[in-house]
Amino acid sequence: MPAKYLEAEVRQEAGVAVIELRGEIDGFAEEALAAAYEEAEAGNPETVLLDFEGVDYINSTGIALIVGLLAKARAAKRRLVACNLSDHYVEIFNITRLSDFMGVYPDRDSALEEAATT
Amino acid sequence: MTASGHLDHDDDRRVLAEFSLPSEPGNERRAADEVAGTVESLGLAPDRLERLKTAVAEATMNAMEHGNGYRPEVPVDIRVLFSGSELMVHITDRGGSPVPVPDPEVPDLAAKLEGLQTPRGWGLFLIRNMVDEMNITGDREHHTVELLMHLEEGQKGGEDAG
Repeated sequence: MPAKYLEAEVRQEAGVAVIELRGEIDGFAEEALAAAYEEAEAGNPETVLLDFEGVDYINSTGIALIVGLLAKARAAKRRLVACNLSDHYVEIFNITRLSDFMGVYPDRDSALEEAATT
Repeated sequence: MTASGHLDHDDDRRVLAEFSLPSEPGNERRAADEVAGTVESLGLAPDRLERLKTAVAEATMNAMEHGNGYRPEVPVDIRVLFSGSELMVHITDRGGSPVPVPDPEVPDLAAKLEGLQTPRGWGLFLIRNMVDEMNITGDREHHTVELLMHLEEGQKGGEDAG
């Protein structure tokens, strides 16, 4: 199975910078993820939303990349939240305690709604 | 989890599949998909199957990286075995001695976020949480990680397995 390199696209929605992710979040994803995050925070948003709807694989290196983004966001007093994770990756976010430090929402609408009220 | 033990199980194990992969980044997904296809007839619940795939991918990645140094000409060997009540996946690299002892500590996310620990170091932690047992053995030339899942009644596949 050929690797599906990560594609990341940044959109602004309701004052939230949304990073739409498609592909795999592994060691190959570092550059695309970093570039997308840099673009997302250029407008100094309070919240950056990682939308995992198009992601079918996250490995331990990918978890480390997400930890790195979370550290950056916290240093800038920015909220980093996630949506559209599969049940399996919600479990992994729970096991790793990522979900203790970043909001995890079932879909984009609920994430944006929460961002608008906080 | 057994940090470093013997792969001494009953002799009624059957080999369901045996294959090798070059140590190249990304091949951990091939390993996970191949194992998932092999155990399809065992009727693992979807969440258990996803956990097994993650454990196989992480163990294969460790074998390719730490055991074989990502040298493509050095293969990772994978065997899938079935004993009636247990499913086992053996992942073997050419790392040689000593047998690595898994870090028993749970990665500290708060420390990682404060920059006090590297953001990495999740692989063995994930494996330990995905399967019922992880055993590691080795000799002068190889390391083998065994991933073991206990099968529940109705998930044994009977004579259809393999």
